[in-house]
Amino acid sequence: MGGVSRIVAVLAWRNLWRNYRRTLIMLLAIGIGVWAMIFMSALMRGMTDQMVHNGLAVLPGEVQIHHPRYRSDPSVVNSMPSPTGELLAALEKPPVSAWAARVRVPAVIASERDSRGVTLLGVDPAAERALGSLPDEILQGRFLTDAADRGVVLGASLARKLDTELGKRVVIMSQDPDNNVADRGSRVVGIYRARLASNEEQFVYAGREVLQQMLTIGTAVSEVAVSANDYRQVDSWAPAIEDAAGDNLEVLTWMELDTFLSSMLSMQDGFTLILMVVIFVALSFGLVNTLAMAVFERVREIGLMQALGMRPSLILYQLLLESLYLLVLGLILGNGLAWLTIKPLESGIDISGVAQGMEMMGMGTTLYPALAYQDMLMSTAVVIVLGLLASLLPAWRAARLDPVRALNKT
Amino acid sequence: MRWIIVLVGFLGALQASAQQLAAQDIIRKAMDHYRGQTSYSEMTMTIHRPDWERSMTMRGWSEGDKQTLVRVVEPKKDAGNGTLSVDGNMWTYTPKINRVIKVPSSMMSQNWMGSDFSNKDISKDTAIIEDYDHTLLSTREEGGHTIWVIESVPHEEAAVVWGREVLEVRDDWVLLRQEFWDQDNELVKVLEAGQIREMGGRNVATVLRMGKVATPDEWTEVRTEAVEFDLALPANLFTLSNLRNPRQ
Repeated sequence: MGGVSRIVAVLAWRNLWRNYRRTLIMLLAIGIGVWAMIFMSALMRGMTDQMVHNGLAVLPGEVQIHHPRYRSDPSVVNSMPSPTGELLAALEKPPVSAWAARVRVPAVIASERDSRGVTLLGVDPAAERALGSLPDEILQGRFLTDAADRGVVLGASLARKLDTELGKRVVIMSQDPDNNVADRGSRVVGIYRARLASNEEQFVYAGREVLQQMLTIGTAVSEVAVSANDYRQVDSWAPAIEDAAGDNLEVLTWMELDTFLSSMLSMQDGFTLILMVVIFVALSFGLVNTLAMAVFERVREIGLMQALGMRPSLILYQLLLESLYLLVLGLILGNGLAWLTIKPLESGIDISGVAQGMEMMGMGTTLYPALAYQDMLMSTAVVIVLGLLASLLPAWRAARLDPVRALNKT
Repeated sequence: MRWIIVLVGFLGALQASAQQLAAQDIIRKAMDHYRGQTSYSEMTMTIHRPDWERSMTMRGWSEGDKQTLVRVVEPKKDAGNGTLSVDGNMWTYTPKINRVIKVPSSMMSQNWMGSDFSNKDISKDTAIIEDYDHTLLSTREEGGHTIWVIESVPHEEAAVVWGREVLEVRDDWVLLRQEFWDQDNELVKVLEAGQIREMGGRNVATVLRMGKVATPDEWTEVRTEAVEFDLALPANLFTLSNLRNPRQ
């Protein structure tokens, strides 16, 4: 049997190159199809990854702890005490890689010319840096030095709208737990740029201790954001934090905090598969056609082989093998092409031309394609399985030829 | 020799701080002068825009630095609207919806009743005394009066957006002019006083006009019709229940 299958393998390989022009065209078609599958899914993966990352940087953290009523009414009344005791211990040990307690209240910021509603973030810069939730880029000046820094840091877009600039004073206004006006003047010590202009206009950073003093809330905070650096693994460690936080605090993972993001993520995998199947279904018509042609040309030859005693199963085997060679060569070509095109683009594709539309989806002006090996594996599996299924029909028909009729065919 | 220099320097410093104190005193006196210990006034506010103009007649009470109550008398559709401000907090009452609403901090820099005054201007009238450092810029004589020009620079962390304010006060404590400069040293808005007459036993500027420099054809003018100072006011005047159910 070993000898026979080797002969069949050699026959299949040689048959493939009998009409090398047709084979090359088919190879090219499969290669481009595979390339398109991988390239498209890399773009999509890049988009969703970026949306999740942007989303998590704004949230921030993969797990957040709040006063139970804070999310429905984010006012200063619904503050929580700074983490202590058991909760603090849980936050300090792995897998938690970073956590930050922050004051987050709605506020108004006013310059001489204008005033706007913003979200005021009282942060501890060191903790936020570990969490990765600092603004992407400081355009002018500096970020806050510590939690007692008396300045504020504004987004570039907000500074423009307020007609203020670095070094000028602005007034921030909010209210304390007794609903009294709490306000103070602060100097703009830095101007940041965010990937999304809407974030630039929404978030104003100030020192946490300074805000706590202004709002007269002692050491209370609005939220605690916790990160362990892998957003896909959050379910494994969130329950421990929840236990430590006790019943008086609400502990939620990012999937619960931002259900849109989490559903985007699960949708993406399904979407990639559908895309691949669609591309390949279109491709398989070409494949079936080519194989049917190859069989049609060789009817007499197949009849002869059968007459000489070759079993139909071996003919089926030979044709499937021929198709497999074609598919594997196409896959190698496609994957190679995809790797060659995506790798240089991983540093980002500038899509600022359509940035406004993309921003509505929570994306920046640069798209970073992400080549994931599971996408390559999935496309390979789709191509092999569907390709062989599609070739089954012409191969089956060839195997069922009647040798006498086949030989007499002119 | 050295001690002379030290002495001169010391005297200079002393003089500077005395002058600063004097400037602050002048502002203090000017504020006291137009608010009195207590005061009651009847006034008409005219809001002027290029394409429309409207007037409201109002009555106002004040006590000390931190309590003010204003009630609209006319026109009919605004009659009964009231604004109470105590300690920098502000409430409004509208009879049509029969509600007292606390003006949230987010609205404090919005305009007051559609005028060129902001809610903050109304509720934090006298904050200028403590929130600013005052220096006497110059003194001039005009029409038999001495006029002090005082520059007031807000403290670093005062809740004030202005870079500085320049006030002109006459020697009978009438505030003639208040300029609001931004931090680029550009004049943004001006409060001007006019038609100074004796009223309620004091010299009072009966017309106050607030306008932005950039839009000269938009302004708000408050004309005082009558004013009384240092009268006895009922203890419950500056309360929320009185805002809702007027008893005077």
